[in-house]
Amino acid sequence: MGIVIAVISGKGGVGKTTAVANLGLGVAMNNKACAVVDFDIGQRNLDMILGLENRVVYDIVQVMDGEATLKQALIKSKVNDNLRFLAASQIKDKRVLNSQKVYRLIRELKENFDYVILDSPAGIESGFEHTIEFADAAIIVVNPEVSSIRDADRAIGILDSKSQKVKDGGEVAKYLIINRIVANMVQSGEMLKSEDILDILNIKLVGKVPEDSGVIDASNQGKPVILDRHSIAGQAYKRISARLCGKKVDMKDVEVSDSSLFKRITGIFR
Amino acid sequence: MQSKQYSVKVYECSIDDEEKFIAFFDTNYALFKDHLVVINGYLSQRIKDYLNSKSLIFINNIKLPRGRTRKAIEEEIEAKKREYDIDKIIAKTELEKLSKRLQNNLTVLDDIIRSGRELNVDGDLLLLNRVNSGATIHTTGNLIITDLVEGSVRCDGNFMILTTSSKANVLFHGEEIENRFLEDRLNRVELKNREIVITPVFKKEINWVL
Repeated sequence: MGIVIAVISGKGGVGKTTAVANLGLGVAMNNKACAVVDFDIGQRNLDMILGLENRVVYDIVQVMDGEATLKQALIKSKVNDNLRFLAASQIKDKRVLNSQKVYRLIRELKENFDYVILDSPAGIESGFEHTIEFADAAIIVVNPEVSSIRDADRAIGILDSKSQKVKDGGEVAKYLIINRIVANMVQSGEMLKSEDILDILNIKLVGKVPEDSGVIDASNQGKPVILDRHSIAGQAYKRISARLCGKKVDMKDVEVSDSSLFKRITGIFR
Repeated sequence: MQSKQYSVKVYECSIDDEEKFIAFFDTNYALFKDHLVVINGYLSQRIKDYLNSKSLIFINNIKLPRGRTRKAIEEEIEAKKREYDIDKIIAKTELEKLSKRLQNNLTVLDDIIRSGRELNVDGDLLLLNRVNSGATIHTTGNLIITDLVEGSVRCDGNFMILTTSSKANVLFHGEEIENRFLEDRLNRVELKNREIVITPVFKKEINWVL
């Protein structure tokens, strides 16, 4: 039985889908069978970021309605054999989802994969609720800014009350990714510090991802940034993926500017 | 108006056997001659004539007011005492109930109150965690929050103890309290003589002998 991880944020545009694509690939690179599922019914994006736009034949709604089997609908990644992708429907909207259908799909995915990563829609409506309903763990993606933090806080609150695991008396594991950190701005006090964010949200930190201009280009090209050896965001996602696979990776302080001389020197020996 | 109050001696009886009655009165006349005779039940003409002949004052079938005996009075006092004791016991249990209710009315929580959560507490609340921006808390009783408050707080109790950030929105008895009075330190906000008093709670400092 695999583990189901919902990637949520509350606010849109913080880098949820990018995180899903990169973590999915990262986990697959750690030799784990991984499925990434786009739950953003009606606004599918993940296929583009994974570079699998042209391969989509069947989508998640068709699988849930029995029009296609899961095997038919799963798309194999071009870059890693361990990674499969299940696309969202672009035609339907999230009203077509219901708990029973979602449960059946997730159970089937769990039986076939080590990791199932769900890309949640932004907001806290029904689409979001269905994504978190049967998840074993959640990764919350935030940007170091107040509106993102508050929305994430709300999303965590809903996660803690609506998840099936919580209803059964358990607890959903919650992990935080702080995305798009600009070291200079944190140091000058313009951007929220990680400590403050962790204070407010009170969940475990799984990684910090620095702002990286390469991310947009990578998304446009359909090649997740984790494939780029030199990208600082890619390296961050690599570390997070390894942590998700149970490896112990030291936290790298991305809030300290890399341009400092000291960093450059240590960089040589790395 | 002239009035007098005095006690009268009464001999009360009912008549079964007229012969016996007359014989009894004949022998004990000296004892009863100053008494008022009360006859309960049937009174025959013969007895009436007899009593009249003896010039005894008599009345038939009347209920006389009676002073209570000492024993009765004692009994009454005893009863009152018992009643009073019962009252005392009831009062005591009521007090116990009340204090129990007060204790039961204290809610202790160690949850982080996240954005979007609305916490309504009937009674007192002791919260050992944060109140995040976008969350709402309302208590009818006293309120103590040991961690930072960034959300909105309404308290209608006698006092509240809390620390807020600049984002918080605090209402005490419907009165908005400006954050600058509450920021960056633990404060006690209480109602004294219909005025809201804010006292910072500082750590006790040791006064060293110089």
